[in-house]
Amino acid sequence: MKKLFPIAVMVVFLVAVVLSGCGSGTEQDTETGTSNEAASQTSGETQVGTLEFRANGEDFVRQGFVSKDGWAITFDHVYVTLADVTAYQCETPYDAHKGGKPQAAVEVVRPGTHTVDLAEGGEDAPPILVGKVEDVPVGHYNAISWKMVKAASGPAKGYSLVIMGKAEKDGKTINFAIKNEKEYSYTGGEYVGDERKGIVQEGGTADLEMTFHFDHIFGDAETPADDELNVGAPGFEPFAAIAENGTVDADMAALKEKLSSKDYQKLVDILPTLGHVGEGHCHCEVL
Amino acid sequence: MKGKLLATLLILFLSIPAAASAHGAKISYQITKAIEITATYDTGEPLSGGQVTIYAPDNPSTPWRKAKCDENGKYIFIPDPSKPGTWDVQVRQAGHGDMIHIPIGEGTAEAASGSTGYTPLQIVLMAACVVWGFVGTTLFFARRRGS
Repeated sequence: MKKLFPIAVMVVFLVAVVLSGCGSGTEQDTETGTSNEAASQTSGETQVGTLEFRANGEDFVRQGFVSKDGWAITFDHVYVTLADVTAYQCETPYDAHKGGKPQAAVEVVRPGTHTVDLAEGGEDAPPILVGKVEDVPVGHYNAISWKMVKAASGPAKGYSLVIMGKAEKDGKTINFAIKNEKEYSYTGGEYVGDERKGIVQEGGTADLEMTFHFDHIFGDAETPADDELNVGAPGFEPFAAIAENGTVDADMAALKEKLSSKDYQKLVDILPTLGHVGEGHCHCEVL
Repeated sequence: MKGKLLATLLILFLSIPAAASAHGAKISYQITKAIEITATYDTGEPLSGGQVTIYAPDNPSTPWRKAKCDENGKYIFIPDPSKPGTWDVQVRQAGHGDMIHIPIGEGTAEAASGSTGYTPLQIVLMAACVVWGFVGTTLFFARRRGS
């Protein structure tokens, strides 16, 4: 009997150790897997590729279009100044309707401030390359954020957005330069368009796009007048009405003085909606 | 003679179903889970005829299916159950669009794998109790025999 008792205790102890060992072993495997995955995304040994950041004013800017009020608009230059351009790999897809900062395992930043001309190139020119970052971890970059800030130098100095071009209607021609000194922060989820973007594979190159919808300002004659787009757009007529000697050259401060309060407010309200990811909307904060 | 008759009857018997199936029809059914999406503008107006692009979890670069919404902005599809994970569905129309991410199968698999509902510690304690029960019983009878 005395011999049996220690044996029994040992049996209980061994069974307990074996069973608990199995349990914790499974957990350890999972934790190691997650941890390795996280490490592989940040270590130098990981698989890498190249990520390009592009800005796109779409065919509206490259080819011109007719505004909701019948002005045929063409663009000479559309300068946007971009900063803090960042791509994210989010496990939980970013929801621009909710806003906030993307919760990402991987972030890739394109440093610096960049002024680009969205009207550069021909009618079929590709979106403008803002910059690229090499040796980024592979994976799906499914969110992007950027700021539109005042340029410190160059042709857009002092402004985050400068739109220069020509509008024609009924034999009248108006040259315009509309300048915006306000600054914005945009955050968008996955690119919405013909193709899927942001999937970086080993040794490959993928791109992400910051898209700007200028039909939101001027409206689009090809869209019904009662469409939300045209209802919210100021159109070109308010700018034409303040032209002097066939020219409009004004920043937001001047436009506040010259436009009707209704038209000015429409412009203020619509400017934050310029930034998109393809056809997907962005969350915007006015800085 | 009997053998020939039996063989003939057997051939006739086997040939009847074959002849019947050539002109028949068969309907079967399977209850499955379908996903219905509804795409609207911010105003609530439906994206009538909106372009639908679906990406399966195993190939995020290439569309699994392309289709169109009905006039109410609705589209129904049955995801391949052999491809658990997040299914991405994009709907676009006239320069507007959005993408939705639908987790399919992962929750079900998780529930199945965790069907006992016990933590490892609870399992160890239960096993220990069972073993101790056997040991205790053995000790009890051993003590009786000894006394």
